[in-house]
Amino acid sequence: MVFKKKFTAGIALAALMTGLAACSGGEEATTEGGEGGAEKITIFQTKVEISDQLEAAAETYTEETGVEVEVIGTTGDDYFQQLQIRLNNGTGPSIMSVQNATVAESLQSYLHDLSDEEFVSNIAPDMALTLEDKVVGIPYGVEGFGIIYNKDLVNPEDIQDYESFVSTLEKFNAEGINGYALSSEAYFLIGHMINYPFSIQEEPIEFMDSLSAGEVTMAETEEFLRFGEYMEAIRANTPSPLSTSYDQQVGDFAAGKTAMIHQGNWAWGLLQDFEVDFEVGMAPFPLEGNDKLAVGVGSNWAVNSDKEPEEIQAATDFLEWLHTSETGKRIIVEDFGFVPAMTNIEANDLDPLSQAILEASNSGETIPWSHNYFPANLVLNDFAPAAEKFFVNEEMTSEEFITNLDAAWQNAIK
Amino acid sequence: MDVANKKNIGWYLIFTLPLLIIFTIIVVIPFVIGIYYAFFEWDGINANPKVFVGMENFLTLFSDDRFLRSTWLTVLFTVLSVISVNVVGLAFALLVTSKLKLGNLARTMFFMPYLIGGLILGYIWQFVFLDVFTFVGELLGLESIFFNWLLNENFALFALVFVFTWQMAGYVMIVYIAGIQGIPGELIEASKVDGASKWQRLMRITFPLLMPAFTISLFLTLSYGFKIYDVNLSLTGGGPANATELFAMNIYNEIFGYGNYGYGQAKAILFFVIIAAITLTQVYLTKKREVDM
Repeated sequence: MVFKKKFTAGIALAALMTGLAACSGGEEATTEGGEGGAEKITIFQTKVEISDQLEAAAETYTEETGVEVEVIGTTGDDYFQQLQIRLNNGTGPSIMSVQNATVAESLQSYLHDLSDEEFVSNIAPDMALTLEDKVVGIPYGVEGFGIIYNKDLVNPEDIQDYESFVSTLEKFNAEGINGYALSSEAYFLIGHMINYPFSIQEEPIEFMDSLSAGEVTMAETEEFLRFGEYMEAIRANTPSPLSTSYDQQVGDFAAGKTAMIHQGNWAWGLLQDFEVDFEVGMAPFPLEGNDKLAVGVGSNWAVNSDKEPEEIQAATDFLEWLHTSETGKRIIVEDFGFVPAMTNIEANDLDPLSQAILEASNSGETIPWSHNYFPANLVLNDFAPAAEKFFVNEEMTSEEFITNLDAAWQNAIK
Repeated sequence: MDVANKKNIGWYLIFTLPLLIIFTIIVVIPFVIGIYYAFFEWDGINANPKVFVGMENFLTLFSDDRFLRSTWLTVLFTVLSVISVNVVGLAFALLVTSKLKLGNLARTMFFMPYLIGGLILGYIWQFVFLDVFTFVGELLGLESIFFNWLLNENFALFALVFVFTWQMAGYVMIVYIAGIQGIPGELIEASKVDGASKWQRLMRITFPLLMPAFTISLFLTLSYGFKIYDVNLSLTGGGPANATELFAMNIYNEIFGYGNYGYGQAKAILFFVIIAAITLTQVYLTKKREVDM
């Protein structure tokens, strides 16, 4: 009996120790600003690409003003969940990202009204994030996506329509080059691609409304069926995007192993990290004769209204500094590589991808970002699993795929 | 009550009180709040309204196909893992206690995966399945066995069992080693004198005396398996197409993906009831079979 007791106690202790060890890895809570005005603000934002640059900017700001800026690291896809956790447990950041109007609506009680700030008037027409006529978000910048191609390998004339697109894929497949790479992250797998059939509708938002109302389905809409055929051709002629991460996708492209990727101008920073040594171009995805890039606002800076007035003021000051001071403007254009959506910031020396976006944007030859109007979290929750199912089941037809997308949409709005 | 006993109570309090306080704060209180939320329809954002819906969340559970599928997957995963973890762990334990020359080294190596931690382990194995498996498949011409399991809706769950076994086997091995070393040498010797074969010794002496270790190992793997989240998240992320979305992940997705906080809490309560029921039954059954020394 004694043996048993000792033994059991020993095991229980061992189990307890591991339990405790597992708990100790928790994150420290962010500390509130000191007495007498905020001396510290926190930023939690969604764009992985500018993390390092933002930290550097924060340091510069601290040097100039003495206000400490803490940048909380982000992982990208689950940003909204993480933000929600932080807001609920009281460790919410002073400055956060709000992706679009759908998100702004659910977070509205946390969004500080920025309408009265002077620098807000510099936001380019129709680019501000508004909620009931109040400006609640300042656009990061104009962004756009399309087919990024290697000019040594691809001639844009060869991806003008379905037939030429498919034959280009087949040609690369025969040569052992990945013709067209997506990647496994929800937005890069389907979120951006699915824009095209929506955005080339005459009235994308009205189309979405009638989709929600059950008046139309994707499966009976021509553009979506064509889109399905493209996806089928991509599945048939390229390695599975599910085994590729964003980094690998861009890395393989920079190494010349992939001829085309579907990405946006934000990928330039990563391409530079991989020391891309050939000319890169951006072409529209040729669905149903589409010849325009998809351009929109990727995310917006917003100030958390659930903070002390001093901290709100300090956060607003930081945004003002970022968007009006010479240093701040330089950071936005050069370090972040954003195509500015502010009229007081000039964009010079843009990288080739951003240049393509800016030109498209200035000429008005663009299609909108429909995914900004999707039901909340639709891409992550429902579209991504549907797309994964399509990519792992080689025998699934494009019609079945589109039908699954219809079901996904209905599931998201119920 | 004499003086010595009173002194003992003081000691008990010193050791248990801090634990009790921590346990109350991080387990009991959130648990009670969670039960409360389960009766509301709420999106998880503090400032937004909570609507009381009574038992509706619990009733919806039973017609939620995705949830039922996730339940089934979890049960399947747990059953497979409990078997494989314990078989492998026990085999390891018998191996390293069998006067092997490299016993101590092997013991360290078998235990090592447990120290790595589920998240990192998941990412490592993601790489193994992606690159090593496909490479071995091509090399040996066994592409039907060695391919990227993670991209197959049926095999992804087995990949999860595989990695979980790799992680946990070393841990239960330690439990079994402790048990095996606790078996008195006289008993083994006596049985040798009586002419028992190796097999008879294993079945008639070692295994019955290992019952306490079995209880603990089965209990640990059963509840770990049911609650698994980290390996699930990093290895498959619930994919492909939700084919490996286990219980905990389903709850997380319901709450943070779809923003159904109340409904997600209802799931979590059911999750708790099931785990409590299974593990209590299991402990009760195995306790009955323990041999007291």
